[in-house]
Amino acid sequence: MSEHEINSAGRSHGIDAAPGDPETAEESVGEGVRNYLIGLGLAAALTIASFWVASGTSLLYVPGVPMALAALAIAQMGVHLVFFLHITTGPDNINNSLALALGVLIVGIVIAGSLWIMYHMNMNMGVMPPSDM
Amino acid sequence: MLGKLSWSAIPFSQPIPMAASALMILGIIALLGWLTLKGHWRYLWVEWFTSVDHKRIGVMYCVLALVMLIRGFTDALMMRSQQALAFHSAGYLPPEHYDQVFTAHGTIMIFFVAMTFVIGLMNFAVPLQLGVRDVAFPTLNSVSLWLNAAAILLVNMSLVIGEFGRAGWLAFPPLSELKYSPGVGIDYYLWALQISGIGTLLTGVNFVTTILKIRAPGMTLMRMPIFCWTSLASSLLMVAAFPILTATFAMLLLDRYLGFHFFTDTAGGNSMMYMNLIWAWGHPEVYILILPAFGVFSEVISTFSGKPLFGYRSMVIATMAICILSFLVWLHHFFTMGAGADVNAFFGIMSMIIAVPTGVKIFNWLFTVWGGRVRFEEPLLWALAFMITFAIGGMTGVLLAVPPADFVLHNSLFLVAHFHNVVIGGVLFGAFAGYSYWFPKAFGFRLDPRIGKAAFWCWTIGFYVAFMPLYIVGLEGMTRRMQHYDVAEWHPWLIVAAVGAGIIACGIALQVAQLVVSIRNRDKLRDLTGDPWDGRTLEWITFSPPPHFNFAVMPNVTGAEAYWGIKQKAIQQHRLMDLPDYQPIEMPRNSPTGFIAAFFAVVTGFALIWHIWWMVIVGLIGAFGTFVGFAWRNRYEYELPAAELAHIDDERRQARIALVEGREKGIHKVEYSETKAHGSRKVGWIEEPHGGHLGPATKRIITGYGFWIFLLSDFILFAGFYAAYAVLAHATAGGPTAVKLFDLRILAIETGCLLLSSFACGLASIAANARNMLWTQIGYVITGALGLAFIGLEVSEFAKMIAMGAGPGRSAFLSAFFALVGLHGVHVTIGLLWLGTMMAQFWAKGFRADIMRRGLCFALFWHALDIIWVGIFTNVYLLGTSP
Repeated sequence: MSEHEINSAGRSHGIDAAPGDPETAEESVGEGVRNYLIGLGLAAALTIASFWVASGTSLLYVPGVPMALAALAIAQMGVHLVFFLHITTGPDNINNSLALALGVLIVGIVIAGSLWIMYHMNMNMGVMPPSDM
Repeated sequence: MLGKLSWSAIPFSQPIPMAASALMILGIIALLGWLTLKGHWRYLWVEWFTSVDHKRIGVMYCVLALVMLIRGFTDALMMRSQQALAFHSAGYLPPEHYDQVFTAHGTIMIFFVAMTFVIGLMNFAVPLQLGVRDVAFPTLNSVSLWLNAAAILLVNMSLVIGEFGRAGWLAFPPLSELKYSPGVGIDYYLWALQISGIGTLLTGVNFVTTILKIRAPGMTLMRMPIFCWTSLASSLLMVAAFPILTATFAMLLLDRYLGFHFFTDTAGGNSMMYMNLIWAWGHPEVYILILPAFGVFSEVISTFSGKPLFGYRSMVIATMAICILSFLVWLHHFFTMGAGADVNAFFGIMSMIIAVPTGVKIFNWLFTVWGGRVRFEEPLLWALAFMITFAIGGMTGVLLAVPPADFVLHNSLFLVAHFHNVVIGGVLFGAFAGYSYWFPKAFGFRLDPRIGKAAFWCWTIGFYVAFMPLYIVGLEGMTRRMQHYDVAEWHPWLIVAAVGAGIIACGIALQVAQLVVSIRNRDKLRDLTGDPWDGRTLEWITFSPPPHFNFAVMPNVTGAEAYWGIKQKAIQQHRLMDLPDYQPIEMPRNSPTGFIAAFFAVVTGFALIWHIWWMVIVGLIGAFGTFVGFAWRNRYEYELPAAELAHIDDERRQARIALVEGREKGIHKVEYSETKAHGSRKVGWIEEPHGGHLGPATKRIITGYGFWIFLLSDFILFAGFYAAYAVLAHATAGGPTAVKLFDLRILAIETGCLLLSSFACGLASIAANARNMLWTQIGYVITGALGLAFIGLEVSEFAKMIAMGAGPGRSAFLSAFFALVGLHGVHVTIGLLWLGTMMAQFWAKGFRADIMRRGLCFALFWHALDIIWVGIFTNVYLLGTSP
């Protein structure tokens, strides 16, 4: 970030960064492009891997496919977060990654909780297999 | 032309609603006439309606809440009198009207009284307590307020035009589905709450950002007043929980408007999913309301006991523990729906665990009062009544958290008594405590204490008389929402309860009288020092009412209880701080954006309710135009010169000197003592360094962080839709399955488009940071073109499926699929609109700092859409078609 903003008290802040801003303020154009290229490459590789896993390859144990897909999806989300959104674990990013952690926790609770609850509900309700309804 | 709207929408044949609406319309006309006659319009528009000052916004929230309290309480009086009369008789309210009354009562009291009041107090007090001049996004704050007002207007319109919902305050399907509720009542309910929900979410984003990023120098997190902590927790919950509500209501709206099958009885829909999702919002909502009330009580109890709060750290930990735990108890609202022993046991135990941090708080308050020099002013009375009442309500809550007990008590008046016990005794008493506590700060004079105490006793006694009988009839088996009954044992108790409601009515009348009398006697009740209660937090260091910039110089915080420390030092040394070095400050300009946006929200909402489609388009274009107009403005701040600040501040210092020397009447003499008071905190005046906190963050960080918080709420919105998809994925109702429908070749191209457009957006960001206009624009053009290609592919894919007879109306699986993927598509479309306006701004205005901040937010948004797409293409498409 070449823009150098100073807060009203006249002191600049070295310990905090806006989410989305690159890690080092004085990043050159070449370094910036290189980072996005690495991100793009990794994301493309993971996308291709996901398609390959789902293609019904005989190299994979079939019941493991959903797990593999979930793992690849999480890995790719991580790549996007680091290389495109510049969310890191650095000291200037603590606030940003803590907020993300809360978001991930709630997303996890809503999805896992709903699945767990609704599975038991459906089972105890004696609901017909939904495909027969 | 006018959709479903015709003269038959106005209930001419029903005397009660007609009389009520006539009264309301007459009241409004009288008010408008008086305003016109007195020529107040200009003042109202310039000073209030377009104000972006957090204090004025807070006051307007509280006014709305008090007005709606009277509306909601009228409903309560009608229900209590109906049940007192309806023994072996039909009473005076026909069932369809009675159903509307209890639905409106719950909806109004939760969303437009409790929420509105609590948000109003947060708005007023939090920036003052943090020692800063405004919230993170002042204009957005005004948008939140006016969206809330728009929702209130829609709810009240339903009284005159059409009807309100009859399905209870949470509109459970299948009753709320089109098949069983074909009228507009549920639509009024849904659209009003969607609009106010957006306002609440934006408030949450605003306050999380304000509290975490904008604090006076030295105000570290652990030096913040407890009210700021509880407001932070409450705001975090708003950000995390409200998207779930939005998602749930959106699904019900899709069912009602476009024939989807999320919660219907047919085609694989599952109404239990609605209960699951709505309570995943509903329980955190309880804590959104109660946590700020806890904060008010903490401030009040500490101030009027003349002591620091006992156990500050444990209070902070308890607050944040509640913040997380509140997301792990939602099933206790539907134990009896049949999730079975494992699930019920888990949620029952979690519900009992969440009572622990609440208990910690009660003990902290008790120990704060203990040994203090207690002054029984009105705010403290509310706090003391709260401690007793809330403890009773909490204990009946723990009882209801035991699943076997809940099987006996659920859906009974015992439950109704329990939640009124905690909501009135907790939230409402908290709101009243805050109202009387901060009123002198807001207006410069106190509320009449004598009438206030009378109102307090009416409310407290009335509450017990009205709700203790409901516990008893609940145990005797009376279910909630009964229009009439024929059990003789219940009748006397219900008469007692009606008497209780009458006593509460006296309390409300006294509160109105208190306001009127206090305004008349304002010269006698004037607060000249700015510190009428011998306060401990920073709002009491400035004028009453505070100038619009709050503080001429941001206070320098050197320890906990910032103001108490400064005051003690001044009293001890018999002099104020040295004259500060006044610097010019920049304040946000007022803006009508909020008001205009809310106007279009009302137009859109009303048009959607009555199916007036052309008007929907007009409303949406108007809202979009409003925001573009706002974004396009060139001047958004004005400067206050240092000389003016010094002049204004001099007056304040004169008042301070009077306070320090004890010359003012009504000032409690404060004695400084070297020994520690009861309580675990250090006496605040001890000077500590700034503690590592240098003051507010830069605008770029504030904007980026606020948008990041908003994006997290967006992820949670998608989580709601994804949860519905995951639950309904196999409910194909005999229709086509994923394997037959999804085309993986198109999916691969779509994914490629999005990935490359994200890359192009990244390059545009780099070019913008390097101030290269050509490459910035080229990068954005490629971003947009690839985004357009993605949308085009998705639309053609959807069209193909619908043509095959595999549209969203075919099965619950397809409903959930279309909604989830379509929501992502809507996001991409919004992104494209945004991109277009932003490119034009870069082109016309160059790399101005505010447009650069928007570029940062757009990049975050666009990259986040990729992350969501990664979840969708793997877990929806690939998982659906894999072996």
